[in-house]
Amino acid sequence: MRVFMLTWEYPPRIIGGLARHAEGLSKALASLGHEVHVVTLDFPGAPYEEAHPPLYVHRVRVELPAPTFHTWVMLFNHFFEKRVGQLAKEYGPPDIIHVHDWLTVPAGVASKHLMRVPLVMTFHSTESSRSSSSSSPESALVGGLEWWGSYEAAKVIGVSEWMKSEVVSQFKVSPSKVVEIPNAVDIAKFERSVDVEATRMKWKVQPGERLITAVGRLTSQKGFDDLIRALAVVQKSIPDSRLLVMGDGYMRGELEALAKDQGVAARTTFAGFVSDDDLVDAMKSSDMVAVPSRFEPFGIIALEAMAAGAPLVVSRVGGLAEIVEDDVDGLEVDPNSPSSIAKATIRLLSDRALASQLVARAKERVKVYSWAHSAAKTLEVYEAAIGEARYE
Amino acid sequence: MSEFPKRILSSLMVMGAQSPDRAMSIDELAGKLGMDKSTVESGLKTLVDSGYAKLTEESGTRKVYLTRMGIITASSTYS
Repeated sequence: MRVFMLTWEYPPRIIGGLARHAEGLSKALASLGHEVHVVTLDFPGAPYEEAHPPLYVHRVRVELPAPTFHTWVMLFNHFFEKRVGQLAKEYGPPDIIHVHDWLTVPAGVASKHLMRVPLVMTFHSTESSRSSSSSSPESALVGGLEWWGSYEAAKVIGVSEWMKSEVVSQFKVSPSKVVEIPNAVDIAKFERSVDVEATRMKWKVQPGERLITAVGRLTSQKGFDDLIRALAVVQKSIPDSRLLVMGDGYMRGELEALAKDQGVAARTTFAGFVSDDDLVDAMKSSDMVAVPSRFEPFGIIALEAMAAGAPLVVSRVGGLAEIVEDDVDGLEVDPNSPSSIAKATIRLLSDRALASQLVARAKERVKVYSWAHSAAKTLEVYEAAIGEARYE
Repeated sequence: MSEFPKRILSSLMVMGAQSPDRAMSIDELAGKLGMDKSTVESGLKTLVDSGYAKLTEESGTRKVYLTRMGIITASSTYS
């Protein structure tokens, strides 16, 4: 099968979980012998063309300036369409066009009708949950594109049961059209040995300190402000606890100020963006990984922590609540609740036997989330889409 | 980060100033934003200090472009 995968992010352009998903799925499909062409945006230092047959990555340069983010998205979709046309001529038309989120819907829909090829759309998130149902014109545009994509697609994929139910209820899509295929994790990446002492020294963790790691964009959605407030409470019971925040974003200054205000600045390290190797090293060297999100359609970071063997505390929201079973393979906490995060953190850091039990069960559970499994389920969706595609 | 540097960050991305060879002059940026140069320069200082943008000079003209971290941060609101 020949698949054209349209995604605005693909490593090394990693904005969120979508890049990891596109990479993991594309590689797994290619490893099964399918020809996958990823059409994505360019990124400084990344080659415009990468060929690892049968996987090809085509990075597109947006040649025109745009006045706003949303017009820029429309523009880069035109450049995607142009590249899709070139690829169809060079390699032959695809059997499937697969778009991810609203950002590549216009190019996907145009390509579907121009080439009479079935469209599949994966939802990683929705505008209404991301923007707390904002009534801005931009949100209306994004919501409209999400509906359009779900309408034009022969099959729709949601990355969790929660995401699937959001798509069905928001866009009035028939439940039979939407399939849940969870994200996955490359477990092998987390199986290498790590120099824990050197890693902890690199991040200024003092001997004997209990390391809590949090990873993600520094945005309100991720709830790192709640985690910093929780750390102030945890410090009273466990004074040698330390927080390592990996990631960057608009809230960095605000979070740094909050850590100072809460009296935990000396015990909090903001690492900024880190490499994949640094991320694996840190997780494998941590006493706990916290995912305190206010909203999370899936939460790949939880799978990564499970694969790394780090005890996990997650918010009871969206996909996170599906991945983690409370008190079995991790601890769940209430979202927006520093006290709930603090209580679970103190419990976990104070009870090594509990931490070991959770990790052992998590390592078993995470095996279900393989890219090979996701690719096999996605191929079933492609086959169904080919049988059900309509072009009216 | 306050709204003003965020606006500059987003503008640099959508106007294509995403690598040294596509750096944009500060005069041009100020013109596109409809602001005076000194105001834009103060916003740029925040972005440069945060590691989101880099300044360069070409034939006596000061230019600016986003770093990889700047591109990711500018995009992160929408993912």
